[in-house]
Amino acid sequence: MKPTLKKIYDWVDERLELQDLIKFMAKKYVPVHSHSIWYYFGGVSLFLFTIQVVTGILLLMYYKGSEELAFESIQFIMSKVAFGWLIRSLHSWTANLFILTAMIHMFSVFFEKAYRKPRELTWLTGMLMLFLLLGFGFTGYLLPWNELAFFATKVGTEITGVVPIVGKPILQFMRGGDDVTGATLSRLFGFHVAVLPGIFTLLLGAHLLFVNRQGMSEPLHYAETPEKDRKTMPFFPNFLLRDLLFWLIVLNVLAILAVFFPWELGTKADPFASAPAGIKPEWYFLFMFQTLKYIPAQIWFIDGEVLGVLAFGAAGFLWLMVPFWDRQSSAGESKRFVNYIGLFVVMYIILFTIIGWLA
Amino acid sequence: MRQKYFVFKCVAASFLFFSGILIAGDQCITCHTTVVGDKPSEQFQHDIHSKKGISCADCHGGNRNMEEMEAAMNPKEGYKGVPKGDAISQTCATCHADPERMKKYGSTLPTNQWTNLQTSAHGKLSTNGKEHIAQCITCHNAHGIVPVKDPASPVYPLNVVKTCTKCHASATFMRTYNPSLPIDQGEKYRTSVHGMLNAKGDPKPAVCSSCHGSHDIRTSKDAKSSVYAVNLPGTCSKCHSNAQYMKDYKIPTNQYEKYAKSVHGTALLQKHDVGAPSCNSCHGNHGATPPGVESVSKVCGTCHALNADLFSSSPHKKAFDERKLPECETCHSNHGIVAATDSLIGVTAQAVCSRCHHENDNPKGFAAAKAMRLMVDSLSLSGSVATALVNDAEQKGMEVTEAKFKLRDARQAHLEMRTMVHAFNEAKFREVIDKGMAATALAKGEAQGAVDEYYFRRIGLGVSTLIMSLLAIALFIYIKRIEKKQAEQR
Repeated sequence: MKPTLKKIYDWVDERLELQDLIKFMAKKYVPVHSHSIWYYFGGVSLFLFTIQVVTGILLLMYYKGSEELAFESIQFIMSKVAFGWLIRSLHSWTANLFILTAMIHMFSVFFEKAYRKPRELTWLTGMLMLFLLLGFGFTGYLLPWNELAFFATKVGTEITGVVPIVGKPILQFMRGGDDVTGATLSRLFGFHVAVLPGIFTLLLGAHLLFVNRQGMSEPLHYAETPEKDRKTMPFFPNFLLRDLLFWLIVLNVLAILAVFFPWELGTKADPFASAPAGIKPEWYFLFMFQTLKYIPAQIWFIDGEVLGVLAFGAAGFLWLMVPFWDRQSSAGESKRFVNYIGLFVVMYIILFTIIGWLA
Repeated sequence: MRQKYFVFKCVAASFLFFSGILIAGDQCITCHTTVVGDKPSEQFQHDIHSKKGISCADCHGGNRNMEEMEAAMNPKEGYKGVPKGDAISQTCATCHADPERMKKYGSTLPTNQWTNLQTSAHGKLSTNGKEHIAQCITCHNAHGIVPVKDPASPVYPLNVVKTCTKCHASATFMRTYNPSLPIDQGEKYRTSVHGMLNAKGDPKPAVCSSCHGSHDIRTSKDAKSSVYAVNLPGTCSKCHSNAQYMKDYKIPTNQYEKYAKSVHGTALLQKHDVGAPSCNSCHGNHGATPPGVESVSKVCGTCHALNADLFSSSPHKKAFDERKLPECETCHSNHGIVAATDSLIGVTAQAVCSRCHHENDNPKGFAAAKAMRLMVDSLSLSGSVATALVNDAEQKGMEVTEAKFKLRDARQAHLEMRTMVHAFNEAKFREVIDKGMAATALAKGEAQGAVDEYYFRRIGLGVSTLIMSLLAIALFIYIKRIEKKQAEQR
């Protein structure tokens, strides 16, 4: 370290005892094996969350959450505010990449069986954060108040409304009335910038705390591998620097996407206009949307759409509870059946997303 | 001589004998002419139906062969009396809607009059639900019906207007069905070219039924009506495009052909824009007549109000009046009027100004026309450059909403210029041009800014990618060095 930098470091270290923190981090080790690449997706998701928070706060300085001004304020951000176009495009692209990396992180955890005892709570907090992320996507989608978002929100909230007993009240609560109006926009805006970030931050804090307490999960076969053959690398500086390298690459990809594919604003929503043809939700809801389209209107005596929504709800709940029903993984046994389920779910999501995209 | 007298006696005896048989065969006529002596029975003897052997009983029911009134007019014998309301037309329709019966009487008349009447305004409107406005007898009479071609018929061309105005000129009657409908059609018609010729005994010019139809008359707002805006030019052209029919009147017969290709005709006939002018918009409908030279700008001004106002206060007004030139028509023509373009202004071969303003005879007007054309061309060019720049910026994915607003202002100024030209005042014209030029300058500025921003973003991305790549490489080398050092320490 150069003398000047050393002086600054010593000055801070004298007051904050950084050396202790470095020693603590240096004691942490990350397993090195053929699937180590998946460990980076948790970190990159955290990085993307940070970008979302920063760009979100910057957008908040100009965004106006009302039916009359929402669209115009985004238009203003994109055309008049210095680097407003970049901030808005980054926010939109990061949102999508964030969901993608979080999903990859979740599936990697699933296939590595990293949810097994003692990491059930880490899995639970992670899954809840993924659900919240989808909530972020849904609530944020309407905020530009453009035609596509308006009708997609209408369709999306209608699907919620088909859930028996609680569906209708939830629909009315989300919309702030019977239809998608300015009240819905205010409501979803509130959720997007206050309620969801609040809950998300708590869950993220808990998730990081659990990871720190428990360390990185080791693959199942490590139990049978002799200790000398268990390769590891120190969390600090090795893993953290590799994380930084990955983040730099992701940041560059984001910048390229924002410049070459600026996020379009479309046309302002007109509640009295008829819905444009081919209304689709965002890609992460597409597999569910496409499935609901294939389900017959009536199955026995149950409404097809109700059955579909309930089935997805049940599947989501089962997925959330996997550490509790997959006892064998917790006992250190490799269970292929769970892998097959996971593989089926991944294939299903990919296939139906592609079909939905092409439809 | 005796022989001739004998022949006469034989013919007279035969006539009396056969007419006796005929009259004796229809007791209705016998009693009603000899005993009652009423007008209907007298009129019926001249009626076309009577001549075809149709009896009173065919419409009124009863037994025509019975001498006793109680027996002849006995309801048990089918006697109906005088039909009322819609039953009148239904009675006529028993034969007139039946092709077989009509053929039996040797008639070649169409048999769809009743169906048509029911779909017409006259057959649809009713004040009591039982009786509609017009029955057959309203126009054709009841007992003295003669063929349409008979000059005595109330629907003969020379009598049609009188027949229609019996109701249509009556405010009291019309109020009960359509209070907003004018009642001066007859009066206007008498002032029209059609009406004046009709009054002179010419049956060829248009009468009410020529344009509105006869049994199937619909309101002018009904898209199926022959006088609905889109259908009207076709209705007028039935006569006015028929050179044979119009040969006595010595007027051109190509108006429809020209109109159909004109800006007005295209809008009305192809785009179905019912706001576009039809024949009656300029010529009037019931009072149809060609507008006089002095009226042309007033006629066009009913729609092109601002242009007409500007022209009226322009120096051209006096010059046109003195030369007896039809105002708008001189530059824009009449039936074949095409959409005005910038090329009408100036001193080029296509321009209309140079038709009067020659360089040597009228240098001041020539110079003004030339200067105005230059201004127009400058605005057009500036607008094209601005549009191209805005399109370029938009294709590059830049936000150009504001620039598009400015372009719209420039287009608005261009349109305003097209109106302002009718003031023929260079200073006022320049004001509008300057407004347009200012708008195009702003649009160009906005678009150029967006294009510059586009390149700035790419350069910025290149620089930041370079920095990030260098950082990544440095980081990678640093990691490798650390790991090498760690391996050595182990």
